[in-house]
Amino acid sequence: MTATLSETLNAADLSPAQRRGLIARFQALADDEIVLAQRDGEWTGHAPILEEDIALANIAQDELGHASLYLELRRELDGSDPDRLAFFRDAGEYRCARLVELPRGDWALTMLRQFLYDAAEALWLDAAQASRYAPLAGVAAKALREEKFHLQHSALWAERLGRGTPESARRAQTALDTLWPHAAQLFALLPDEADLVAAGLLPDPDAVRDRWEALVGGHLRDRCDLDVPPLPGAGEGREVHTAHLAPLLTEMQAVARAHPGAGTW
Amino acid sequence: MTAGAPTPEAQLQETQLQETQLQETQWPRWEIFKQDTAARPLQAVGSVHAGDPEHALLTARNVFVRRPAAVSLWAVREDDLLTATPEALATHPELLATPGEAGRYQVGIKATAKRSMTFVDLVGAVEASGPGDALGQARALHPDALAWQVFAEAAAVKSDASPETVESWFAPARDKTYKQQQFYGVIGRHVSAFKQSGKPAQAEETP
Repeated sequence: MTATLSETLNAADLSPAQRRGLIARFQALADDEIVLAQRDGEWTGHAPILEEDIALANIAQDELGHASLYLELRRELDGSDPDRLAFFRDAGEYRCARLVELPRGDWALTMLRQFLYDAAEALWLDAAQASRYAPLAGVAAKALREEKFHLQHSALWAERLGRGTPESARRAQTALDTLWPHAAQLFALLPDEADLVAAGLLPDPDAVRDRWEALVGGHLRDRCDLDVPPLPGAGEGREVHTAHLAPLLTEMQAVARAHPGAGTW
Repeated sequence: MTAGAPTPEAQLQETQLQETQLQETQWPRWEIFKQDTAARPLQAVGSVHAGDPEHALLTARNVFVRRPAAVSLWAVREDDLLTATPEALATHPELLATPGEAGRYQVGIKATAKRSMTFVDLVGAVEASGPGDALGQARALHPDALAWQVFAEAAAVKSDASPETVESWFAPARDKTYKQQQFYGVIGRHVSAFKQSGKPAQAEETP
């Protein structure tokens, strides 16, 4: 490669290894969004109050929209069909983080997970705006706007639950204790990703994690009165899933797989 | 009836008490005013239930601004609104003496009975000695309105006007459009196709 670190790149400029690395990251990002949107969507018709039912359905739709953006970035690199990737891969082929697979739990778990995730996505997107891969920089700027609002919403709920009643505080702490061991996986380098970070194509996940720890740790401790333990390691890679993913995909993919040749929906 | 059993009156009172307690578990209602563009007035678009001012605004953004776009949102607690029609003022003139804080009051009017997404437009502000005085001024300024609504400016919680918040709250809606029904595909063929060919609709339904 003759390009210097300041030049922006498009798909045609990438080496095969860079292409593979970007495809893997876009798929991981999309899978996080798809699975989280499905979990959030499970609340439709069941949220504690109508307004929040609408809010969470909106947020789930936004996350699916972000998944579409990432899958379009992938399509540009290898021509793959986003619908095939979403509806016809099994759990073993999904590359979502375990955090988003966990069952939706109570409202506190759903809101605390959303808060941890929204902060991670917003900060990753913020850094990705500076990516030398021009298509990613464009997508990041677009998705970041929505993600900032999501983060305001989930941060508000974390605070209301943490400082609400003894019962809401107990539930918020229980939720955080359940989620926290899975959070660091969001920031783990994928295999072969280090070269792309060094080349300025993808954000440095360690730097994103440091900003994230400061942001969520500060909010959870100072505004929510929750106990925030030290962040454990990322654990196994994204090819390893909890037992919760397969049943989620079975439900999510049932209609598409029952009518694999459907031309219209 | 055994001694000590509640009388029907006591049971009724108990039921009413329970209903009151039930109502008190509801979050307060907030009227939401939305401004679509800088050139248009803030308009009442509906209400949300929320626990506090910040929650009301965030909830309103989710419920009312997913699409189309807006530039500003206000939320006003139900208790801080004074609303009256000419008919209501004729039978309850004491509304014009509704006491409250002196200060700047926003005036909204319902100008038309035409069915619409919005019912009250904010048309200006007055200095008033209280809500009743503001209502009287609203009536004097807009005698033909179908209804008047006033609230203390200080009671409104407003979306942040900073460019960053406007971009995060309102810009995404610009890219989202309503899709008409014909946007979506039809499984099989539309009934009109069969009418044109003169064949019964159920004869050649394709899977």
